[in-house]
Amino acid sequence: MPTEQYAYELSIRETLPLLGIELVDVEGFSCCGEPMKSVNQLLTLYLSARNIAIAEKHHLDVFVPCAMCHLALSECQHVLENSPAMKERINGMLSAEDLKYTEKRHVVHTVDLLYDIIGIDKIKEHVKKPLNGLKIAAHYGCHILRPSEIGRPDDSENPQKIETILKALGAEPIQYPQKLDCCGAPLLANLPDSALTKTGQKLQAIQEQGIHAMVDVCPWCHKMFDSRQAKAGEIVAVKLDVPVLYLTQLLGIALGLPVEKLGLDLNLSPVEKLKLIEVN
Amino acid sequence: MQRIGVFVCHCGINIAQTVDVEALTKYASHLNGVVVAEHYKYMCSDVGATLIKDAIKKFKLDGVVIASCSPRMHEHTFQRVASDGGLNPYLVEISNIREQCSWVHSDREKATEKAKSLVRIAVAKARVLEPLTMSTIKVTPEALVIGGGVAGIQASLDLANDGFKVYLVERDPSIGGHMAQLDKTFPTLDCSSCILTPKMMEVTNHENIELLTYAEVASVEGSIGNYTVKIRKKPRYVNLEKCTGCGDCATACRLKDRIADEFNEGMGKRGAAYMPFPQAVPLKYCLDASKCLFLTKGKCGDEPLCQKACASGAIDFNQKEEVVERKVGAIIVATGYDLLDPTSMYEYGYATSPDVLTTLELERLISSSGPTLGEIVRPSNKEKPKSVTFILCVGSRDETQCTWCCRIGCMSALKHVYLLREKLGEDVEINVCYNDLRSYGKGYEEFYRQVRGLHANMFRGRPSEVRVMKDHLKTDIFDTTTSKLFEVKTEMVVLVPALVPRKDTGNLSRLLRLTLSGDGFFLEAHPKLRPVDTFVNGIFIAGCCQGPKDIQDTVAQASGAASRAATILSKDELEIDPLIANVDEDLCSGCGMCISVCPYSAIERVEETRNGKLVIHAKINEGLCQGCGSCVSACPSGAIQQRGFKDKQLLPMIDEIT
Amino acid sequence: MSIIDLTSMGEPQSDLKKEINDRLTKLQDEISDYCFQCAKCTSGCEAHKLLELEPHKTVALLKRGLINELINSDVIWTCMTCYKCWERCPQRVSPVEVLFALKNMAVASGKQIPGKYTAMLQSILSTGLIQDVQQIATKSAKTIKRDELGLPPISKPTDLSKFQAGIMKIAVEKV
Repeated sequence: MPTEQYAYELSIRETLPLLGIELVDVEGFSCCGEPMKSVNQLLTLYLSARNIAIAEKHHLDVFVPCAMCHLALSECQHVLENSPAMKERINGMLSAEDLKYTEKRHVVHTVDLLYDIIGIDKIKEHVKKPLNGLKIAAHYGCHILRPSEIGRPDDSENPQKIETILKALGAEPIQYPQKLDCCGAPLLANLPDSALTKTGQKLQAIQEQGIHAMVDVCPWCHKMFDSRQAKAGEIVAVKLDVPVLYLTQLLGIALGLPVEKLGLDLNLSPVEKLKLIEVN
Repeated sequence: MQRIGVFVCHCGINIAQTVDVEALTKYASHLNGVVVAEHYKYMCSDVGATLIKDAIKKFKLDGVVIASCSPRMHEHTFQRVASDGGLNPYLVEISNIREQCSWVHSDREKATEKAKSLVRIAVAKARVLEPLTMSTIKVTPEALVIGGGVAGIQASLDLANDGFKVYLVERDPSIGGHMAQLDKTFPTLDCSSCILTPKMMEVTNHENIELLTYAEVASVEGSIGNYTVKIRKKPRYVNLEKCTGCGDCATACRLKDRIADEFNEGMGKRGAAYMPFPQAVPLKYCLDASKCLFLTKGKCGDEPLCQKACASGAIDFNQKEEVVERKVGAIIVATGYDLLDPTSMYEYGYATSPDVLTTLELERLISSSGPTLGEIVRPSNKEKPKSVTFILCVGSRDETQCTWCCRIGCMSALKHVYLLREKLGEDVEINVCYNDLRSYGKGYEEFYRQVRGLHANMFRGRPSEVRVMKDHLKTDIFDTTTSKLFEVKTEMVVLVPALVPRKDTGNLSRLLRLTLSGDGFFLEAHPKLRPVDTFVNGIFIAGCCQGPKDIQDTVAQASGAASRAATILSKDELEIDPLIANVDEDLCSGCGMCISVCPYSAIERVEETRNGKLVIHAKINEGLCQGCGSCVSACPSGAIQQRGFKDKQLLPMIDEIT
Repeated sequence: MSIIDLTSMGEPQSDLKKEINDRLTKLQDEISDYCFQCAKCTSGCEAHKLLELEPHKTVALLKRGLINELINSDVIWTCMTCYKCWERCPQRVSPVEVLFALKNMAVASGKQIPGKYTAMLQSILSTGLIQDVQQIATKSAKTIKRDELGLPPISKPTDLSKFQAGIMKIAVEKV
């Protein structure tokens, strides 16, 4: 997210403080390691553990807008809490940076931050420009829903938190059969055509169901559906024309924030189709 | 007791492998009060018994210690041996050197030392044992059967035909259970009602059976041979004597066809005045108190139409709940099963599409007395389905749902394939996704072969999900037989769900003090040797309430349970184990502490006048006392002791090892 | 005595199988033995339709000990890590984790890492981030950088040498 998907970060920094969340920037974070899992899972555990340890040093909870990072950190905590041997081993390595993982911290993603911590009522209170029944398809992605065994921000088979938030914003969320399909991002590193095929297939299905827009909550998913929508369309040989926004961008619009501040000119998908907004 | 014999059992190698039995025997022979010590390979055998009996006579023993397996196994055996040998059976003490020694240790030296300690303390107790005699209680030759499904029906008929009076209590307005909902049964394809209704009629006509429908067991007190049961009869608001079963009330009911009908699994509708199904026994109507307008709101239009329509004046809104008491000698629990609600497997679409059904729901569609009069149609548009797909093992053999196999799922699905083929002909595409196809019973494999010839597409594998599309259902199934992924577009999906215990099993288990096994079904006393007994003497279980099974196994268990109950009921008297609590009235202050802790309500407070003074003390009802010992530990003055486990018998045991 | 796979003429590699099972137990207490090949994982696998990955077959081969065949195949790199296989498995087997184990083993045994993973790894080693701060294109075909958007400076490891020292310990270790 911080190196490329700026729109997400922009919209988060604009909207969440309005809803009472103080975002504290902390130095020293690194990649969570999740994309490295295929190469060396121990590296992933280490990188995630170190990020949590840094938060611990500052006595703060961790807000993780990226679904992949959220899974990495959650899984790391799950393993370290259940295996004292692994915890000791990782702490041994962390000592090189004077860090230590002692205990479980509260790790939240955008979805449960909005739904569970801020709460629907508070969101409703702050809505200034309801979204006029805009038909939206929610894309949860894979990593904030599964594996449910370690506890995820929403239910793995029937997640409804994003839809509830969308309703609070005045939109009309639509259920669609392909809701739990993957965006394909993890294959971007080694099999980009296959990855984009997945993206294209899901967008095509959504397009055929008369939906106005799609929201996502992960920079990887957004990269596929928004930044690479045109390429995906080429791969599946379909003209794709689906506006794709971050949930936080849509949130910002409903909260009455000026459109320039939400990074909407960074969305490469046709968001201008949504007549609520004007993009420069 | 100063002439004690110690008998050490090898138990084959179970004990002898880890404990040096010879050294142990030698050690025992030198203990204070021991006049003879022997060891043998199998003390519980005939040879062992003779050994003990001979020793009792030869050495004039007045106490016996058996160092062997757990008393749970052979206490009664050795007590009988002693009795046969002329010694009071309660002068036998068992020292468990198997489950508590040889089976849990591996160091031979240390285990032998421990065994020696165990025998030493057993001898210490044997020195102070007292002879006891069994008392007897009269047996009530009547039985209670809880649950009116095929298991309860069979058990009731067996006992009634034996000559015993039976009270059959059924929660629903009619007996019949789930079997009454079935259209045909596998593998013979008998019409379910046709084979069940004769039995149901027999029940209602039998002079020895009192049928209490629309009733529940409210409380059970007492113990084997002498149970006192309170049964709560729910008000039907219909006078059973006057009701002729004509149905005019149901036709007239203001809520006719407005309430989801339980018998049809919610696929049909009934009114507040209803009969559960056309062959109900008793063939009487009933008012649903939770929905009836008059009963819930006090007003039904200008007047209740059912009352107006009834020519016999059978509608009685003044009926009240009635609690009746019955005394029985034995109880059989036959409360049956429920289907797992597939909503918990959300990915299969049960909650999202009306065209995703359970097997019972399909059964009702197939049945000619069902909501569609036997027409198999899609609930969504009432049209004949062009394709039906079965998914087996929904929630079964699943570590995240029900870990067990439902036993009947595979055969039910095969039966449905047969019936669908019969009713819808060759036009309908039938797909079956199975995990393993279990057709284990007699005639089952033949049935499976026959169904294999019916052109159904059999896929070996579990689908991951069912997608609800606009006008059809879609599922992908990887068929491991061909190693290919098939995309199945279908119009109806039938889920074969797991069988689970009834929701109120926990409640009933508390009432009866029955244990539940890990899966929530009632626990049998031994899975192989005592499948219909429970750990509570006098209470038996039969049918699916013990675990999922088909109708033939259910009926076999029902007859088995009836036979077990008859063993008790056929006796005039039962002997009661004397190892129960006993009050020393001189020490008892009447504080009542014991009464408050007794789980069997076996203690009462007695006021007497003795020598002009008012004396209050506790009195134990020996027929109810189960010898649990709660009162003994609660008594602040030590006035209650448990025979066979008195303080003066236990303290020497502790002294030996401290 | 012996079991020989007649397709490859190889015997099962039980030591490698044990290594993988030990690792799985360490990470989430679920081993592959309990798989009864219901193929629910493959029926719902996001990567199967496009790339022919069969999670249940991967587990079956693992159970049989035919690890080398798996490590040398390309198909293990097709997993989309959607986690549906683990989520829906009725025996709590995690084919996705088995695949991670196989991929790790392939890398450790010297097989070439496909695609951009190497570049990502190098970026993490040198900066702590998965890629350099990117200049991206906007809708109106302009290009823009992070600091032009008014975002605070990116959070990254402050002392790179200490960070690298920590990571280097891992390079030679297995889970």
